[in-house]
Amino acid sequence: MDWLRELARRIAYLIRRDRYASDLDEEMRLHLELREERLREQGHAPDAARYAARRRFGNRAHLQQRSRDMWGLNWLDDAATDVRFALRRLRHRLGFALATIVVAALGIGATTAVFSAIDAALLRPLPFARPAELVTLTNVSIPFDPGGQRLPEGRHFANLNDAAAMRDVFSGVGGFAAGGLNLTDPARPRRVRVGVVTASFFSTLGVGPQIGRVFNDAEAHPGGANSVVLSDATWRGTFGGRDVVGTSIDLSGTRYTIVGVMEPGFNFPNESELWIPLTVPVTFATFAPFRGFLPSRTFARLAAGMTVAAAGARLLDTWRRLAGPPDHSGHSNLESMIDEVRTTGAVVPLQQNLVGKTERALVILMGATALLLLIACANVANLLLSDAASRRREVALREVLGASRGRIVRQLLAESVLLSFAGAALGVAFAPAVLHVLRSMMPADLAGVAPAELDLRVLGFATGLALATGLVFGLWPALGTARTNAAETIKSGASGGATAAGLGATRRALVTAELALTVMLLVGSGLMLRSLQRVLSQPLGMDPERVGTLEISFRPGASRADKLPKLHAILARLDAGPGIHGAAVVNDVPLRGGGGISLSIEVDGAPKPTSVDEMRFVRNLATTGGYFATMGIPLLRGRTFTASDWGLARQVSAINMAMAKQFWPGSEALGRTFRFVGGAPITVVGIVGDVRERTLERDVAPQMYFSIDRNAPDNVAIVARGTLPPGVLLERLTEAVHAVDPSQAVYNVRMMEDVIATSLAPRRTNTALIAIFGALALVLSAFGVYAVVSFSVTRRTREFGIRTALGATGRHIADLVGREMAWIVGLGLALGLGGAWALSRVMASLLYGVEVHDVATFVIVPLVLIIPAAVATMVPARKAMNVDPTEVMRAE
Amino acid sequence: MPSTPRDEIPPGTLEMLILKTLAAQRELHGFEIAEAIERRSGDVLRVEEGSLYPALQRMLIKGWLIGEWGRTAGNRRARYYRLTPGGRKQMDAEVEAYRRVSVAIDRVLRPA
Repeated sequence: MDWLRELARRIAYLIRRDRYASDLDEEMRLHLELREERLREQGHAPDAARYAARRRFGNRAHLQQRSRDMWGLNWLDDAATDVRFALRRLRHRLGFALATIVVAALGIGATTAVFSAIDAALLRPLPFARPAELVTLTNVSIPFDPGGQRLPEGRHFANLNDAAAMRDVFSGVGGFAAGGLNLTDPARPRRVRVGVVTASFFSTLGVGPQIGRVFNDAEAHPGGANSVVLSDATWRGTFGGRDVVGTSIDLSGTRYTIVGVMEPGFNFPNESELWIPLTVPVTFATFAPFRGFLPSRTFARLAAGMTVAAAGARLLDTWRRLAGPPDHSGHSNLESMIDEVRTTGAVVPLQQNLVGKTERALVILMGATALLLLIACANVANLLLSDAASRRREVALREVLGASRGRIVRQLLAESVLLSFAGAALGVAFAPAVLHVLRSMMPADLAGVAPAELDLRVLGFATGLALATGLVFGLWPALGTARTNAAETIKSGASGGATAAGLGATRRALVTAELALTVMLLVGSGLMLRSLQRVLSQPLGMDPERVGTLEISFRPGASRADKLPKLHAILARLDAGPGIHGAAVVNDVPLRGGGGISLSIEVDGAPKPTSVDEMRFVRNLATTGGYFATMGIPLLRGRTFTASDWGLARQVSAINMAMAKQFWPGSEALGRTFRFVGGAPITVVGIVGDVRERTLERDVAPQMYFSIDRNAPDNVAIVARGTLPPGVLLERLTEAVHAVDPSQAVYNVRMMEDVIATSLAPRRTNTALIAIFGALALVLSAFGVYAVVSFSVTRRTREFGIRTALGATGRHIADLVGREMAWIVGLGLALGLGGAWALSRVMASLLYGVEVHDVATFVIVPLVLIIPAAVATMVPARKAMNVDPTEVMRAE
Repeated sequence: MPSTPRDEIPPGTLEMLILKTLAAQRELHGFEIAEAIERRSGDVLRVEEGSLYPALQRMLIKGWLIGEWGRTAGNRRARYYRLTPGGRKQMDAEVEAYRRVSVAIDRVLRPA
């Protein structure tokens, strides 16, 4: 128990350390006095006696320190003192402290947020059993049964059944698609996200129901019973967790029997709220409720021991075997499809496939963040170095006064740690906000699979990096000099000693690196901004201003007699209202994303396609005659639909320029005829402008418009143009629908401009983020330049004073400062531009209408950088110009 | 002024000497301890006087000594150190260990 008593004594000491210190001091003083007396008694002169007593005693301060150290636990006390002292020092240099903290916070916060988002998307495994085994099969479709319709004989594409037959390669093969339906039971109608999945979907993923069962083979075949599986969230939310298995619900006018409820948390794909069967083979009926078409994906689980590469090779063999010898036409659809399979990989990990296009953007964002973190660290280093001159003198002084080396190191450590942790704390505070922004740009697909959370490992890493930077650049310069010659350092005074030149070189190197990295970020931002500008300057082919739209879905299979009068009644109500200049119906609003269908046509007078490969497809649009005027789509030649077209024996269509050019190159398309495979001739009566339809970034595909009166689709959008404020216009649209049918659910109620903004959102977000990084980097490097110049000016104050005294003008002095900086900026620019030139290729897939080596960007970026760098140089340079020689001399 | 050469105390033995001195004298303050060591060694051993104090602090922590403030003959405040039972035990142990070592060294040094 001795150690316990010892600890008690130590703690007692700690609590009353002031008393102990004064006791010790008094003891030592007494000792010296007694010794002095004794020596005097022995005949020494008073002065000699005092001196001898002190010499015999030794270094009193040092001995006091050693005595105190005996008590241990001092480190705790010392730490508190260190922190207090560091705080006091930092308070005196508030600007320096705040700058360092903010810079560190920027680096830490941005890195953590971006990396967390990437982690969720790319690195964290999918929440399924053995996720590494899950793969998607490129271009492997689900067999299609066209029912009565006959398709031209073609060569065979590898399909889901072919893959499922490869049992030694894949232990399970499934397919899925994601869509939306109106759920009318049990409360008021609402849209629900629906997963359309094969019977094998659940077993292949390795998930199961908590209640009931998933689909059986009969339900997953054409003509099987309509069954539905609910998600846990839907079951609890919409159905109150009641016993619902065996009851039926209404989905867009069709009754489905609930057969099971999935495990909690499962909502794949696309945050599905419920699942209905995807039949194999697919029939027209499968996708009828979904505007006739849903893109589906085929995926599989690798058999035990099978690798992605080996499975890919096997699947490609299957492709070739099924395709037979190459087609004589050389480059048919099938060949290009096999080509695509070969380049993308026939088998791709599911996770990689889900991330898709976002992956490249995320990786580039991660790169940009890493650059920003480096710049921030360089800046922190620079700030600390700027402080080193004053610090090293202090360190040397304290060392001479007897402070132990360890003590000094701890002291400096306290300061660096305080700064780094303050920076980290601030960074953590703003990281969630950045993450929130990032999440809003991630595809729903991913957000649903693995929610993005702030990653603690990355936070630790970024904080550690900031801390290391703080330690290295906070300790090294101060200690480096102290070791060489403390006395010299103190004597050399304000100029900071000879080694200050070495420090200066380090700082200049840091700023050069900072500038180079900034140039790279700015080039990236520039290329993205130019791409965005290009995208925005693309002609829309319509005038979206003041156009409101909403969408409605009729019950699948509703008759034309059911739908048409309703639509016309809605339009009539809208047309009659004040402030509305036009209203129309269309099956697909441009740029709404997803949906839409293309149909194969044959042009009269041109050779007919002999195989599936040669079929040519055109986007099929059904509208009312007023659509073009309402949307501001120019009618170039001919006419649009009129009431008289209905009932005429011949069918008419308005086509866009792209279709006219592709199908009737070099000749007048107006009045020519084309037909659906095996159908009646359709006459071209009008040619209208090209409208961007899928995204702003894709070239306009051939489009053909038919009168909605001939074939009213189940899913339509109503558009109206007016002078009303957006809120009122949208309300009028909704009112018009409900006046005609109060039970009709409306969705996607929004202004056309919002539709466009939504389609642009990912690019806008990417661009904004990279541009923000670029701007931050610019501010940081300007700051770095400023710090270096003002450091150099302070160090050379004496020199400038002497020069001025010897007749140098302010201009000379400014030149002196400016020239040094010009070299640094020039070198930074050259390195940065070189780096950007080499690296910009990785951005190619993110760019639109801009070369990776876009000359304008590479010319403008240096200018953007030079201006703030010049300002940052000029401000301290002015100070140098105004150095008063008399004051300098007096200070010496 | 004494002109005889004085030897520094071998390292590690200072604490033992302090303990031994206090065992003989009951109660001394720092200066007296230094003087006593020198005197008892026949003025051969000189304490580097200041180094006495860290040693005293350490022994206080270990609980071998207790220190109490009192008055000197000249009526000055001084801290008087006294041995504790623990200190006596420690002294015995150290003296024992020292004897063993010095006998061994002695044997080595004895002419063969």
